[in-house]
Amino acid sequence: MKTRFYFRLALIALAILIPAVLVRAQSAPFRWHRHSGLCRRALDRSIWQRQECLCNQAASATPAAPESQNAADAKPDDPFAGVTAKPSPQTEAEQPARSWTQKFFGENFGFRKEIFLQVDTSQDGDVASRQSVGFEALKKFSTETATVASFDFQARLVRRDNYIPAIDDMDGQLRPGWAFEYHNLYLDLYNVLNPVLGDAQRGKVIGRFNFRAGHFYVPFGLNLQTDTHGTVLQLSNERNFGFERDWYTGFWGAINKSLNYDVYYLAGSGYDLRFKGQSGLGALRISLANKYSSQYGLEGGVSILGGGRLSPDIADMERSQNAAANVDANWSTNPGGFAPNSTIQTLRFGLDGRYRKPVPTGLLTLTSELSRGRDNSSAVSMQLYQAEYLRASRRWGFTTQYRRFGQEKLGAESSIIGEIAWYFRNDVANSNVHAIRLNVERQLERITGRPGVVVTLQYYIYR
Amino acid sequence: MKSVSLFLAMVVLAAPQQVFAAIGCTLSNPAEDLKYLYPDMTTYKEELDEFPRLSGGAELFKALRARLGSDLDPIYETYETPYTVYSIFKGQAKIGIVHGVNVPGKGGVIQVFLSVDPKTAAIRSFFFQRLESPAARQLRSKEFRSQFDGLTLADFYKHDYFAAVEPGAKADKVGAIKPPALDAAGRPDYDASLRGIRKNLILLDFFVYGRRFEPFFERAQQAAKPAKSPKATKTERSGL
Repeated sequence: MKTRFYFRLALIALAILIPAVLVRAQSAPFRWHRHSGLCRRALDRSIWQRQECLCNQAASATPAAPESQNAADAKPDDPFAGVTAKPSPQTEAEQPARSWTQKFFGENFGFRKEIFLQVDTSQDGDVASRQSVGFEALKKFSTETATVASFDFQARLVRRDNYIPAIDDMDGQLRPGWAFEYHNLYLDLYNVLNPVLGDAQRGKVIGRFNFRAGHFYVPFGLNLQTDTHGTVLQLSNERNFGFERDWYTGFWGAINKSLNYDVYYLAGSGYDLRFKGQSGLGALRISLANKYSSQYGLEGGVSILGGGRLSPDIADMERSQNAAANVDANWSTNPGGFAPNSTIQTLRFGLDGRYRKPVPTGLLTLTSELSRGRDNSSAVSMQLYQAEYLRASRRWGFTTQYRRFGQEKLGAESSIIGEIAWYFRNDVANSNVHAIRLNVERQLERITGRPGVVVTLQYYIYR
Repeated sequence: MKSVSLFLAMVVLAAPQQVFAAIGCTLSNPAEDLKYLYPDMTTYKEELDEFPRLSGGAELFKALRARLGSDLDPIYETYETPYTVYSIFKGQAKIGIVHGVNVPGKGGVIQVFLSVDPKTAAIRSFFFQRLESPAARQLRSKEFRSQFDGLTLADFYKHDYFAAVEPGAKADKVGAIKPPALDAAGRPDYDASLRGIRKNLILLDFFVYGRRFEPFFERAQQAAKPAKSPKATKTERSGL
């Protein structure tokens, strides 16, 4: 009797155990895989993450390495059972060889086309037009493990008929008719000390020592970090120095986690690289690191610039023999009245800031650039205040700006400007813009001529 | 001179679409930002990617929309939008990949960056560069962001199935993410952030990983098909 009882008990036990063992055998490889994945990850992760792994292990819901992920989660009714990630793509060594032209234009090469149509009118009924097609080419150069340099070239073929000094074309008076213009033309070399440093030192100084040479925005105020290439509204440098871009060379990078620096020697000649007795300019800018912009919407800095620069009007006049005939006394670009071939001893101290504040329906941006200094013996000051509202959809925006340049003994120039922009495309990084802008400038004070009104209508594509 | 100018104009306008590119959603200060993410790094390398230059780029762009499960914004998410992928090295060894995307939020742009494991494509960390949102503080919190560590694109594709067929399933890691405490005004930006993470992972899968997670997308579509109603799924509505 007892034997029969134990025999039945054994059969029942086997009936329970055999399926259990079979099920376990089926799932065992997955579990083994999951655990090995977990251990591999734990080696690479932080303590907090390791604790999370251990907790999850106890709860049997661990995040596993992706290769084994599906297997780890597999259940008999799991719709993802048997699904695995595809193998990694072929390595570069296995890819077909490419010519140097394919490499140059196919790898890290950017090219943008630009169409720019603008009509300006004044209160006297004068009409001027500026039409252009242009491009920007950006090439980055890399080794196997580092991007070491970049080259940027931005140019336009421009047709001007008549001239009214819209704020985005202050020097256009002296380039009537057809003209080929270059804007950005510069080379950046990144982490220039790397060739003489070991790996440990490279890591420590990464981002600290970058070299720039070429034609780019004057490193004073916010223009270095603001693309005003295609906008009607401009910042203050063009009025402050006579040019917004200059030829220069120097270094830029991070000082620490909070501050960046730019230190350069500038030719002081503006559009053309030329030396006519000017000593050139030294410029230093200390600005807030980008984390302040990311976290708080705040940008800002202090700048100092000093030395000798060419009177911009002289440089332009030398470039165009016909220029003098096109100068309208009402639209003089030489309000300072500097003598021909003169060098202007320049000194400026500047303070600038920009604050982006999300508002319920969009983004409000407040900008200011303030500077004081001297041009030869005359004290000068520049102030610019701007408020911009951009709809959250980025389809339209409204901007107003007040700007004033004052010069001792000569007087001041000031304007208040309003602009409405309607965007068909408006990429956040300005890499794809299609817009119509209507800009109205009311001139309040002029050093020469009489104050007027300039209305500008612009159609712009950059893509 | 005029003929030369006209010739130049023609050349510019006739330039092939394939060579378009520029700077897209980039880190404002890559050296500093990458150093923060990878203290041991020694160098980094940037690579520009954009659909017009990819083989089959137009189809791939359509595939992005399908995998994202929501329409692409005509202002923020165009076919021509360029992307920058950062590869981070320690000596000769690649130790990380960082990539950012822009997505539209309620208050404006949301820039979502991910750092991922170069071999497994699992999220190492995610962070915002620009976040124009009334819920910015909550969304930036470490507690919220750290929930994404270790997730892959496969988890987002699986979520499509689970959200439609088996809501609340334990295996649904994306569905298990707890949103920060938000009021109604902040909820759209939470959804937009999740959409940004998913979009970022899809683009990385396209640009870097040779579409390795495609089998998960296909299986999720197949598995969810019988259970889907003609109406939009929860996933599509939320944009996840």
